[in-house]
Amino acid sequence: MSSQFYGDLRTQSPQRITYICGDCGVENEIRAKEPIRCRDCGHRIMYKKRTKRMVQFEAR
Amino acid sequence: MQFPTPEHLKYAEKKFSTPNGLGATIFETDVVGRPDMRYGGKKLTDPVNMIEDKWRLVPAFLKTRGLVKQHLDSFNYFINTDIKKIVQANSIIKSDVDPLFYAKFTDIWVDYPTVHDPQLQTDRKITPHECRLRDITYSGNIYIDIEYIKSRKIATAGKVCIGRLPMMLRSDRCRLSKKTPKEIVEMGECPLDPGGYFIIRGTEKVILIQEQMSKNRIIVDQDRQGGITASVASTTQERRTKTNVQYNKAKKVVLKHNSFTSDIPICVVIKALGILSDQEIVEIVCGFDPVLVDLFSPSIQECAKLKIFTQQQALEYMSTKVKMGLRTFQRGQKRSALDETKDVLQNMVVSHIAADNIKGSTNLRPKAIYIGIMIRRVLFAVRDGGIIDDRDYVGNKRLELAGQLLSLLFEDAFKSFIHHVKREIDLQLGRNNRTAVVDAAKIIKSHSRHITETLFRSISSGNWNVKRFKMERAGITQVLSRLSYISALGMLTRITSQFEKTRKVSGPRSLQTSQWGMLCPSDTPEGEGCGLIKNLALMTHITTDSEDEPVRNIAYILGVEDINLLTGIELYSNPSTFLVFLNGITLGVHKNPLKFVKDFRRLRRAGRIGAFVSIYRNEQQKTINISSDGGRVCRPLIIVENGKPNMTDNDIKDLLNGIKGFDDFVKEGKIEFVDVNEESDSNIAMYEKDITYITGTEKQILNEMTFEAASELYNTTHLEIEPFTILGAVAGLIPYPHHNQSPRNTYQCAMGKQAIGAVAYNQFTRTDTLLYLNVYPQQPMVKTKTIELIGYNKLPAGQNATVAVMSYSGYDIEDALIVNKASLDRGFARVQTMRRFSAMIKTYPNGTYDRVFLPRDPVTHKIDPKFSVLEEDGICAVGERIDPGKCYIFKQSPVENGTTADGTRGAVEYTNTEQNFKYPGVSYVDRVLITTNEEDQTLVKVLVRQTRRPELGDKFSSRHGQKGVCGLIVNQEDMPFTDLGIVPDIIMNPHGFPSRMTVGKMIELLAGKAGVLKGELQYGTTFGGSKVDDMSKILIEHGFNYSGKDYVTSGITGEPLEAYIFFGPVFYQRLKHMVLDKMHARSRGKRAVLTRQPTEGRSRDGGLRVGEMERDCLIGHGASNLLMERLMFSSDAFEIDVCQDCGLIGFQGYCPYCKKRKGVSNIQVPYACKLLFQELMSMNVVPRLILEDV
Repeated sequence: MSSQFYGDLRTQSPQRITYICGDCGVENEIRAKEPIRCRDCGHRIMYKKRTKRMVQFEAR
Repeated sequence: MQFPTPEHLKYAEKKFSTPNGLGATIFETDVVGRPDMRYGGKKLTDPVNMIEDKWRLVPAFLKTRGLVKQHLDSFNYFINTDIKKIVQANSIIKSDVDPLFYAKFTDIWVDYPTVHDPQLQTDRKITPHECRLRDITYSGNIYIDIEYIKSRKIATAGKVCIGRLPMMLRSDRCRLSKKTPKEIVEMGECPLDPGGYFIIRGTEKVILIQEQMSKNRIIVDQDRQGGITASVASTTQERRTKTNVQYNKAKKVVLKHNSFTSDIPICVVIKALGILSDQEIVEIVCGFDPVLVDLFSPSIQECAKLKIFTQQQALEYMSTKVKMGLRTFQRGQKRSALDETKDVLQNMVVSHIAADNIKGSTNLRPKAIYIGIMIRRVLFAVRDGGIIDDRDYVGNKRLELAGQLLSLLFEDAFKSFIHHVKREIDLQLGRNNRTAVVDAAKIIKSHSRHITETLFRSISSGNWNVKRFKMERAGITQVLSRLSYISALGMLTRITSQFEKTRKVSGPRSLQTSQWGMLCPSDTPEGEGCGLIKNLALMTHITTDSEDEPVRNIAYILGVEDINLLTGIELYSNPSTFLVFLNGITLGVHKNPLKFVKDFRRLRRAGRIGAFVSIYRNEQQKTINISSDGGRVCRPLIIVENGKPNMTDNDIKDLLNGIKGFDDFVKEGKIEFVDVNEESDSNIAMYEKDITYITGTEKQILNEMTFEAASELYNTTHLEIEPFTILGAVAGLIPYPHHNQSPRNTYQCAMGKQAIGAVAYNQFTRTDTLLYLNVYPQQPMVKTKTIELIGYNKLPAGQNATVAVMSYSGYDIEDALIVNKASLDRGFARVQTMRRFSAMIKTYPNGTYDRVFLPRDPVTHKIDPKFSVLEEDGICAVGERIDPGKCYIFKQSPVENGTTADGTRGAVEYTNTEQNFKYPGVSYVDRVLITTNEEDQTLVKVLVRQTRRPELGDKFSSRHGQKGVCGLIVNQEDMPFTDLGIVPDIIMNPHGFPSRMTVGKMIELLAGKAGVLKGELQYGTTFGGSKVDDMSKILIEHGFNYSGKDYVTSGITGEPLEAYIFFGPVFYQRLKHMVLDKMHARSRGKRAVLTRQPTEGRSRDGGLRVGEMERDCLIGHGASNLLMERLMFSSDAFEIDVCQDCGLIGFQGYCPYCKKRKGVSNIQVPYACKLLFQELMSMNVVPRLILEDV
């Protein structure tokens, strides 16, 4: 795969993804190059939210 | 009617209802459990039987000390005391340039762990768990107070940071110390986690306990030539030296030392040390023993033959043999050989015996006497026919812990730090520009990385390099295994030995009787580490260094006569005179050793001497040894006086009440810590009934009897607290281990660490690279007291399976197990694996940075199926199913193409650095964590979860070293069932029992069954536990057969089985070896680049090798075509052109050497063969191929 293959094609993302603060639970946005820090409590660990897509499990 | 609250409950309310509501929720459980449930809920009003209940001291001990107290004590000693001593010893920096300048360290201390915030430029408090999640080092700043000259005035600076020290969890300076379980849980930590390890860049590292020979003690040993040698490894703050005194083949005693080129007659050495008359030499060596005099006389004659009579002559003789230039001199002065010899005698020979300077002349007499003692020990050994010391005796060993090891490292780092600071200060002071003020505090601050880097590097790599002692050791630290709670705990009690593993002597590996109660007899690995890697027993304590000055003073007060004041004749003339040593240094003699030892112990029990100072008599050597050094193993024992144990019923009651703790009993002189040497000088009763005492003998011992007669008496001096404490934490899990064949317990110790269960209370917030978790862990039906003490019942690793011991089908041979399918459906042995993948999204120094995003097709804007689990941010979505080959993080990194001439850069080019998932099995993304690390780089951790139900070939084991794989999974309707309709979870083949003799497993089944029927848990504690008789009675009461056998109907035929089946619950562990991680097959696939042969190993999708033994087989069969196929055609067949004339390899039917096409033929050879020829040619070796027609 060429190195430039996906390079210029970054979509202007429709909505920004929010992340949950590991300490206080507030939703945060993360921007590239910026350090991760909760805007409310200053905690530096974020978790991704669960997918909105359907997930199918095999119950065995 | 309302009953009044029982007294013990009232007390519990008053004492334990703290503001934190201790005991209110299940989280508030420390190692011993909730206060009201402590001691098994035993109430104050319950009758207390001394013999029954003295085990309650064990939980009290573990409560005050914790499970890894040795590590914590050692580390605390380092940060509180040792570090200050080190700085005190190296406290002044002077300048070679400016004689007026100095900088003096006035204080040093270590702060609680912090992390530096690069944006806010501040230090912030940090918890251990945040360090794990963010890959940070859990470390605190080392601060120093200094006083120094700044522009010709004395200036001071307080709290200057000189580096960072990785912090041991739960030590004095850890955020978790002195916190309630509730607070610990709030910090994201597991309250059951024992601490005692470090966190370096997010990985948990343990500094293993190192076993070493003790320093400064004389060991008499026999070398291969049969010469008997007394050697002493002297260790002081400055140096380590080894001095040997040998009785050689010529029947002469000589000194062997590194500083001399050859052996030196011992009398010459003594004369050089200033004892000149042969009479006195004989007195300090032999006393009045005529046999010793006979043995020693050749050595005296030798000296006379050499015509050495004066100290000067002796020194001159020795100076011809001294190694020159070994030691570095200041300012490059050369010294004469005579001066060198004097220096060696003062500082290198038995260097731990200080040569004090008294009124300008050095006092070498103590050294001479010490060497006399060494000679005496050698001659004793020769006289008694080669009776030598046991090197493997635990009393001759010292255990080095984290604190001591770090202290070695820190001192070295601190010295190099001072060296660098001094150089910089000299440099700055030397500059002509005197306008700039030299600020030492700033310089010190700027050099802080020396200490930080040394400490971090050593702990994370495990390589200990100390220049001072020329120490280079690898593998000191290991990553803490988090496979299960037990594996982590087992790692913290592990002891590794510095002995080479390849040596084929059994001595160091075999079980030593002196290990009793100190080191676990069962817990050691099989194979190369067997017997060399040991584990601590449950109640073992390891001493830290304590001051010897007060001990010395007390010894003199108690009647020890100073060695400097005695002539040779006074040392050995009286047979009741004993030599007194303190940490291997001669103090003097005592004329009434029994009384001295008794008085000394009495003072120790009264708290006037440190509790860990030990004293013991050695009858053969007629010595009294006092030890206050660190690293001795010791354990608590109940003191018995006049035939009565000092602990009474009332004391136990006070303990149950919570009025007194373990330490109080130590203070009151009811319990004392006894090290291995002192243990050998004590009479310890196993149980209270074993105490023997003859009235009135105490007085006789002290006044009338000779010590020979007195030592014949065996009055009990101590009482064991509880026999089960001879086992360690891991072996303590085994129920009824005293009924098993010993190696089975050892096997279980290895397997218990592989069992999958609960890891810690914070297991779901952890981000380990690989984590195995049991979905429904159960505490064992048959537990032991150790299980409760270490909290295994709270974090168990296994389930109580109903086992039928019978044969079923043929799929149960060779230890295979039959498993009930319905049990698996219900969740039996169901395990989750969590695997962590991490990626760094870096910002580079040149301003470029990695980028993550969701890639789309440039034209259609569609997303490739490979990226289906990604979200807009280029990171996989939580909860999404992830299959092999799918990308979980799409990242692009800038290509390094350098800057253009004007410093600006053009368009940055990127290359794909996406990470793809490759593990088999159905997996789901469990968590995605995004954070920044200490260098402010973004870190993404993805946790992927798999749920695994047991399948054919998965490994199981009971707690008795009985492992087996799942051989068949049977539908429940085909399983046998009892008259009550009970269907087993597991069928085990009875052939597992006769040869292994694991009777403990049978008793576990019996006790488990009785427990199930009665509705209570049973105990299988070592040397105790529920009795088989009682279990049988319970079974009978519930209408079962007393032997645990049941009437069973076959599930296949519906007919009753011909025999009654041994049937009941046994605790089964699922081990980490699973088929899913191991199964592998390949037909065609990848090849290695160099050899073009198939790759090796499952991880590289490798082929299955036909090895040399398989090859031999095929050769034996003469199956040459098969051989050709396997070794060449299916591997690395390659066509080459060979010239029949020159035998060299050509190409395209042409021989470049002969420059012709004639006689070049095309053949097939393995590529590796062609490679070999080419490699040979590159080394100027010509391989020529000679072809023949077949």
